[in-house]
Amino acid sequence: MRVRATISRPRSIRELGGPDGVIRMNEAEEISSKQKQISVSEFFEKNKHFLGFDTLPRAVITAVKESVDNSLDACEEARILPDIRVEIRRTKGDELELITQDNGPGIPRDAIENVFGKFLLGSRFHAIRQTRGQQGIGITGVVMYSQLTTGSKTHVVSKIKSDSSAVYVDLGVDTKKNKAIKSGERRDIWIDDKTGNEISHGLRIRTQMKAKYQRGRKSVYQYLRMTSIVNPHASISLVVYDKEGSVVEEGSWIRTSNKLPRVVEEIKPHPHGIQLGTLQRMLREANDRRMTSFLKHNFSGVSPRAAKEILAIAEVEEGRTPKRIKADEAKMIIAAFQTVKLLKPPMDCLSPIEDLLIKKGLSKAIDSRFASTVTRSPSVSQGNPFQIEVGLVFGGDLTSDGPIEILRFANRVPLMYQQGGCLLTKALEAVNWKSYGLEQPGGSGIPKGPAAVLIHLASTNVQFTSEAKEAVSYNEEVFDEIRKAMLEVGRGLKNHLKKSSQRKKAKEKFELVNIILPEISKKSSELLGREEPDLAPVITQIMNAVFLEEVLSWDKERRLSMCTITIHNYTARARAYTILAKWPESSGTSMEFNPRGGRKEARGLWAWRLDTLDPGTSTVLEFGISGLTKGDWNEADIFFRGNGEIIGATKMDEALLDEQRKAEALEAAVEEVRSKDVSSHTNEMRAEQSVSDLSTESSVSSDVTEFVPSADTDWFGMEGDDQ
Amino acid sequence: MSDSTRKSRQQVVDSLHQVAAEMHNRMQRGDPPRMTLPVRSKSNISFDNRLGVFKYGKSKTVRDATKLGSARQLLRTLHITEFIEEMIDSGKSSTLREMYYISEGWGNGKFGSQNESNNLAEDLEIVTKCLREDFKLRPEEDGARIIGNITVEERNRRGEWMTINCRDDVGDSGYGVPYNVEEEKLRLVDEDIDFVMAIETGGMFDRLIENGFDEESRCALIHLKGQPARSTRRIMRRISDEWKKPIVVFTDCDPWSFRIFASIAYGAIKTAHISEYLATKEATYLGITADDILAYDLPSDDLSKQDINALEAELSDPRFNTGWWQEQIKLMQELGKKAEQQSLAKYGLDFVTDTYLPEKLDGIGLGY
Repeated sequence: MRVRATISRPRSIRELGGPDGVIRMNEAEEISSKQKQISVSEFFEKNKHFLGFDTLPRAVITAVKESVDNSLDACEEARILPDIRVEIRRTKGDELELITQDNGPGIPRDAIENVFGKFLLGSRFHAIRQTRGQQGIGITGVVMYSQLTTGSKTHVVSKIKSDSSAVYVDLGVDTKKNKAIKSGERRDIWIDDKTGNEISHGLRIRTQMKAKYQRGRKSVYQYLRMTSIVNPHASISLVVYDKEGSVVEEGSWIRTSNKLPRVVEEIKPHPHGIQLGTLQRMLREANDRRMTSFLKHNFSGVSPRAAKEILAIAEVEEGRTPKRIKADEAKMIIAAFQTVKLLKPPMDCLSPIEDLLIKKGLSKAIDSRFASTVTRSPSVSQGNPFQIEVGLVFGGDLTSDGPIEILRFANRVPLMYQQGGCLLTKALEAVNWKSYGLEQPGGSGIPKGPAAVLIHLASTNVQFTSEAKEAVSYNEEVFDEIRKAMLEVGRGLKNHLKKSSQRKKAKEKFELVNIILPEISKKSSELLGREEPDLAPVITQIMNAVFLEEVLSWDKERRLSMCTITIHNYTARARAYTILAKWPESSGTSMEFNPRGGRKEARGLWAWRLDTLDPGTSTVLEFGISGLTKGDWNEADIFFRGNGEIIGATKMDEALLDEQRKAEALEAAVEEVRSKDVSSHTNEMRAEQSVSDLSTESSVSSDVTEFVPSADTDWFGMEGDDQ
Repeated sequence: MSDSTRKSRQQVVDSLHQVAAEMHNRMQRGDPPRMTLPVRSKSNISFDNRLGVFKYGKSKTVRDATKLGSARQLLRTLHITEFIEEMIDSGKSSTLREMYYISEGWGNGKFGSQNESNNLAEDLEIVTKCLREDFKLRPEEDGARIIGNITVEERNRRGEWMTINCRDDVGDSGYGVPYNVEEEKLRLVDEDIDFVMAIETGGMFDRLIENGFDEESRCALIHLKGQPARSTRRIMRRISDEWKKPIVVFTDCDPWSFRIFASIAYGAIKTAHISEYLATKEATYLGITADDILAYDLPSDDLSKQDINALEAELSDPRFNTGWWQEQIKLMQELGKKAEQQSLAKYGLDFVTDTYLPEKLDGIGLGY
């Protein structure tokens, strides 16, 4: 059967009806010519399980998912901040009514039939970019399921901005002709039943289906909660009613960011991910005259120099016509792809959430004390760019007696089933969490404790273990990247825990010497009728340390993120230190308020030399950062240089600082070369060149693809919680 | 506790002041204040050959003000000292629970829980070698009940001595033992019994009374109410000392019951500083033994995790370091079972009085 072909929901709304409200007919036709269409009901019946309609509780989740994913995709494309409402109403027995409504661009009247009535199957080979819509069969499946289980039509209201009224239409599917059947079509003004305002653009779907609403880890609620975490730019709400019309479950996740995900670019395939059959087909279809230009123009990451090298190794003449390349020559070319150094594919085909937004997303869904997030630099596996993001939250309302919650996402889509068989879970289990402060019975497996971990895999090609697309399959590079990201957030957690325990200890000591000890002195003197002793030497003996306390706060008037550091010398000797603080330095932030001066030591690291601190005295150091919003910066790392320990600060690791400075110098050099050149190809070539030159001095690897430091690169392993 | 061992008011205040002075002296030298105590665990109790009971050994622990928790303990100790002084001056007394509530007004010196205040009062007893009666502190714990042909005199609230026969002058619940059973409050006047039987559970106590066991076997029955209060242990000790009557202990067969017996016969770990007043070294464990589970084929329950841990701990408890106890504990571990006193009802309500107890008493030479 034909279902073997990759099933891909071709983001129907976007392809068939653009956000501008004009159908790009030529494009739509082009797509359908590439699609193989098969009988809907036949297909549906045979594949219920991986279409997500195999059980009653799952059916409603799948329906919501198809609809919400469509809404998010459409809004993203039209650059609209999404407002999505989901309503579920139990009607009778095992039946319920599902209503979803968005403020997206809407679907033009003439495209509605196609969007809701057709299964589009096929492979979209050349389009390589990160999309949500790689799962399931789309909204058509919902219309189909509704019709098969309840015999009813799906009601659609669609309003595009350029029309004066909305289209109201009922839809069914003609299972023989694989076509939508429209009925009851009319046009009318669309008034929002919640606000009473006229709606200028959006889409509303109301459908009946045999399904069961269930609560818990696998529920619509959980799906929307997870979706809201990775889509902090979306506002999503859910209301579930029982038969009597009373609310049984409710959720509302308000947007925490006005930043839409960036529009992702399509890229050409990278030679490392190409199979022989594909190469042969590309060769056959190629219009290029020479092999050199074929390689340069149809692949990403192939510089002219690399193209020549590939052909030389494959023993294929540069001037050959692609169409005439024979099978065994193509094989040689495939082999040569693996031996020649190639540039990475461009990464703008990926849309990471970015660590600050992950933090915001997590904080809107989970009440916690601490969040550590990491967005790794993009990486490549078999020619497919991918990027790992991890977030960890700890404390607060999270329960401490069970295994931690794992929130898995592939291209911003929540993965809710098959947790155990998923690469993302396995990578988490492989980390030794004990050393980062979480319980892990047996030394491996899912750790226990008041924590939740988010793992997001963004990739142009997410490989799943099965058609159900709920578990990511094994891939060494992806596994490694997740592990590294986990270690980073783990270190963040460890620092946090160490700091909290130090802070607690310090607080206790302060209470001890400032409150309890004087009372002991007073009471014992009273009882005995003696003079009160001088407590200063007793206090020094009890404390016998230098304490540092930092407080982060938000200065509302100046809109500054303030950091106040207090250092107490409770030792018997005078002390002199340099204090260093990590701060979230970026193009948008600056050290706005800094009365103590000091100097920059490296990116995001500022140092102040303190005057000698006499025994029993304390001093305060204060600075303020502009360019952040309230709550962005909630954990600071403080280091020191000098003799002895400071409770509440970490001794500066100078070797790691040196490494960081070197990496920064290198990056600056690469950046400089890049900015001088316009053409991206030559510029990358030059960068490669200049790095090779540099490397002779700094003895770093000359392979630019290996080590270009990203803006997020951190030093001495303290990253992950600096925002 | 004869009068000669009781301390005068001034002696009590002086020994409490020594505790405060240790703190004050150290602060004057520039050191953190502290208090020195014996270690109160099974690792620091040993058999005192002279007294025949278990007492605290030589291990000391220092509670000093380098940690917040310990510093608070020191402050509380000073508050208690002040409170006791006030009571001694005004001739009042209070229960431990009242002291706990009074501590609400001590600001940073207030107790976190009543357990904490009880423990601190005991600490002070140990350090000052006084008794809590000296401190004018009373427990609110329930004393035992006694039924049997013995006669006591108790000084009542009006200060008059009243004579009570614990068989004829009491109802079904028996004579309630007051918290203070010293000579000044309670006198042992007369008896016509052969031995005393201490019983762990109320159900069994009532069964024996209903079956008329006290008269038939000429004994006094004492209901221990679980882990016996100080006054219960003290009155058994006085009966043993003054009337030279044997004491037998009849409990469930589980690790906790073994500990009840140990606290009666050898001394409790928590009160090892006054074992010589409270422990009755002549007491005998009658049953139910692990052997009995097998011999009488008694209905039994599986040992819980806590039971198993408790048994394991008892193996290394010096009080159980005798051949017989080691055997019983190991047998119980082997069986993995425990049994209640009332499991004897398997053979009918009279089985305990007609068969079990006569057989067991015969075994220790108390047959009737």
